[in-house]
Amino acid sequence: MTTVVRLENVRKEYGDTTALAGVSLEIRAGEAVAVMGPSGCGKSTLLNMIAGLDRPTSGSVWVQDQDLGRLNETKLALFRRHRIGMIFQFFNLLDDLPALDNVALAAQLTGSRVATARQRAMELLDELGIADRRNIYPAALSGGERQRVAVARALMNRPGLLLADEPTGALDSRSGEQVMDLLLDLNQIGQTLLIVTHDERLATRCASRVVELADGRVTNERALERA
Amino acid sequence: MSAVWRAARAAVRRRRVQTFVIGLVVLLSTTTIVVALSLLSATSAPFDKAFARQAGPHAIAEFDPAVVSAEQLTAAKTGVAAVAGPFPLTVLEPAIRTGPGPRGPLTVVGRGDPGGPVDKLDLWDGRWPAAPGEIVLNEPVHPTDRVPPDPDSITLDGTTFTIVGRAYGLAGSADAWVTPEQMAALRPTGIQMLYRFTGDVSSAAAVEDSLAAVTAGLPAKALVASQAYTVVKERISTDIAVYVPFLATFGVLGLVVGIVIVGNVVSGAVVSGYRHIGILKAVGFTPRQVVGVYLVMVSVPAIVACVLGTVLGTLAAQPLLREGFQGLGLDPGIGAGGGIWLAVLVGVPLTVLLAAFVPATRAHRLSAAEAITAGSAPRAGRGTRVQHRLAGVRLPRAVSLGLGQPFARPGRTWFTVAAVLLGVTTVTFATGLADTLVRVSTIQDRSDGQIVVHASDGRSRMAPDGAPPPGQPVATTRTDAQVEELLRGLPGAARVAARYRLPVSEVGQTENLDVNFFRGDYSTMGYADELTAGRWMAGPEETVVPAQLMRERGLSIGDRLTLRLGSASRSLTVVGEVMDGPDGPPGIVADWSVLTSLAPERVVPAHEVLYQVQLVAGFDVASYVRAVAAADASLDAWDTSQLSDLLVTVVGFSSALALLLSTVAALGVFNTVVLNVRERRRDLGMLKSIGMTPRQVVTMVLSSMLVVGLAGGLLGIPLGVLAHRFILPQAADASQVSLPSSVMAVWHAPTLALLALSGVVIALLGALVPAGGAARLTIAEVLHNE
Repeated sequence: MTTVVRLENVRKEYGDTTALAGVSLEIRAGEAVAVMGPSGCGKSTLLNMIAGLDRPTSGSVWVQDQDLGRLNETKLALFRRHRIGMIFQFFNLLDDLPALDNVALAAQLTGSRVATARQRAMELLDELGIADRRNIYPAALSGGERQRVAVARALMNRPGLLLADEPTGALDSRSGEQVMDLLLDLNQIGQTLLIVTHDERLATRCASRVVELADGRVTNERALERA
Repeated sequence: MSAVWRAARAAVRRRRVQTFVIGLVVLLSTTTIVVALSLLSATSAPFDKAFARQAGPHAIAEFDPAVVSAEQLTAAKTGVAAVAGPFPLTVLEPAIRTGPGPRGPLTVVGRGDPGGPVDKLDLWDGRWPAAPGEIVLNEPVHPTDRVPPDPDSITLDGTTFTIVGRAYGLAGSADAWVTPEQMAALRPTGIQMLYRFTGDVSSAAAVEDSLAAVTAGLPAKALVASQAYTVVKERISTDIAVYVPFLATFGVLGLVVGIVIVGNVVSGAVVSGYRHIGILKAVGFTPRQVVGVYLVMVSVPAIVACVLGTVLGTLAAQPLLREGFQGLGLDPGIGAGGGIWLAVLVGVPLTVLLAAFVPATRAHRLSAAEAITAGSAPRAGRGTRVQHRLAGVRLPRAVSLGLGQPFARPGRTWFTVAAVLLGVTTVTFATGLADTLVRVSTIQDRSDGQIVVHASDGRSRMAPDGAPPPGQPVATTRTDAQVEELLRGLPGAARVAARYRLPVSEVGQTENLDVNFFRGDYSTMGYADELTAGRWMAGPEETVVPAQLMRERGLSIGDRLTLRLGSASRSLTVVGEVMDGPDGPPGIVADWSVLTSLAPERVVPAHEVLYQVQLVAGFDVASYVRAVAAADASLDAWDTSQLSDLLVTVVGFSSALALLLSTVAALGVFNTVVLNVRERRRDLGMLKSIGMTPRQVVTMVLSSMLVVGLAGGLLGIPLGVLAHRFILPQAADASQVSLPSSVMAVWHAPTLALLALSGVVIALLGALVPAGGAARLTIAEVLHNE
């Protein structure tokens, strides 16, 4: 299996605070990796490094054979656009666009025609079971529906790597279950997945491997048998 | 209170950009407002202020010394607040002038000093006469080093006086002053009394009533002549009236822009702080304390900036006003004063507090939870339909996203549009004003001839304003005709006209009429472009008249006026009205043959004639001027295509104010974008996380202000055009000038397109810096600090 993500001795410091203290990690294609640990252990910082949202103080980050340290801001944006899909705890949908346009947005930024982007968005919403909610604005969607829209948007440009930051953290248990099923389904059809979570249930259910962080270091890695 | 102060101080420190923006906007707005109020104040009553400073006489009365004694005049005090006199006076004729200096009969008064309870003269140059043979002339303040130099002596009725000083009295109680002893030797023909009254002096009739009360007990026919101050006021008001509409327009625009921007910036600052308000409430601040924190937070930078802006505005207003009122004797004391400072130092902070108070009281009503979630919870409603439609438009997505943003915050957007609109209105008005004045100047330059030539009389030489003296005067040996012949013969001369100005009596009028007698190619030199009504002269029996004279003399096109010189008379038909006619005091245009018929034996010396020359197209003006000097050293020639004082002054201050107001408008845009970016940083972070490049972010932010700039531009242009259409004719009317329609037709498609672009430029310049900031936003911080 090819390596999708490779971190080599990555350190990240914010002033006197060390968020990551030399993390090395590999994620292979088709894997579903859950990063776990207490608050402030460096989970989100790790995710930011892999997504190209932040730069390490030292060490290197390779994603799909691309050394992110060599990319300027514009190239990082293009990298995210084409290779990364991101799901956030608080969905981060645009309030003034309906579900369909929120999803289509990711393709439209690449220059896709409106009709093409909307067609692809419609297919994704259909696959995620919320096609009938396509014209509804985020404020009128439930938490689970908003996260599905966010997942659809993340998948819009067929990314090689899907990053999820506490994807069930803002959802009730029922909606959380639905999102877990969705992520599991995606992984089962070959989508490489990195989930940052506190939720042991989510990790156990969706991940094939758990990486535990504490104080900016990897303290444990374990493979899981999915339920 | 200390908790409120501490929280406010912390907020000021934490929000450095916002504090800086509030400070900068208040600073520039206050500067604008001080300039605006100074302009409005200066235009409201400049004469009254200067007149009060000089304790100007409400009435100048001349009495017959054969009928009334000085003692009787001194004793008459009914309704008099202050009186000066009796001063003996006489009227003297100056010798024929051969150079600069006063012309026409002069009223000379014997007066011991320039001060006193009434008519305190401004002795601005030299000293007061102390001995016989010395005289002081009444002249407004002007540079003493001008070229040609002012004369240092004057001959009046055969007596030569040394000019020992120059004084200025607004009331014009005399043309010159000598010592009382000197006046006794000159045999005074009248006694002058200068009165200030206690009663109503608001009109000429009221002043006459007061004067009648004073003179009631005097012998009949004692009062020979009198003049109410309202006559002088009206004349000076006409001189300054040309500036009033311009200054008032810019003044009002400045005030409105200042208030709109301050309101927008401050209320925006409070709205963007709702989350902070929620936190304050959550930790135990009472609603009143929260409002207090926000009022203090915006007041600190506002008050500091207000004080600095008042100083800056006072300094900035001075040169504008000095330019506008120089030479009218009104310059000292005009500018920002105590009243304006008080109004600004109280009014601006109050405006700031009011602008902050309204949204702060809204925050006051919000629960802590609502306030904390403001801006982070999903919003429904505003602008969604527009965004949805734009999502389907074939535009780059960054552009369509930006275009929809103004609709999400309609109130803030309208404020910003209003700021840009006012900026564009100012720029449009200033552009039209400059264009019109340049056209007027061009027409005048052309009709003056490209080159003016003057023959020296051997005593003085002439040069354009600001040019170095041309050298020692050499008297011309050529006759008038020979000078004209010489000028026609030099290479490059296309048209030559000779102009001789002479006051001539008009039958039926008490005052002389200035007549410009023209010879040569004057009809084709461009005066016809100045026509505001009627047509150009078709023969020597016709005349064209400047608009001011038409009004003063109640003339209409088709009227006939009869000129009389000595025993001869000649009638001319008015066939046209011109803007202001040949250079100098308003005078009618007549053919030289009219002069010949009125005074057949008169020989006009060459040094009393002005020669105007136009060159063949493309011929170098400077080389013709050099050729004139080389041909005859007694001839002074200069290029007339210079900018007029009015043009320089008005274009100067309109450009300065347009720039200032545009900068303030751009700052309004800057503030709006800063607030928008802050409020939408979560969206921006998300957009960047899904691949929006920094350039796309900048494009999106600039696109959002493109709509604002276009709207402001499209709405501001008609307002500016309207202001130009209404205010320029009003200004021209106030200065008793009519404008040819060609100088008002300044609006063409390219100009309007450029002006529409000015709104976009203001908006984009204002948005550029915060757009760059948005592009550099750190996504990780934004997205994970929920």
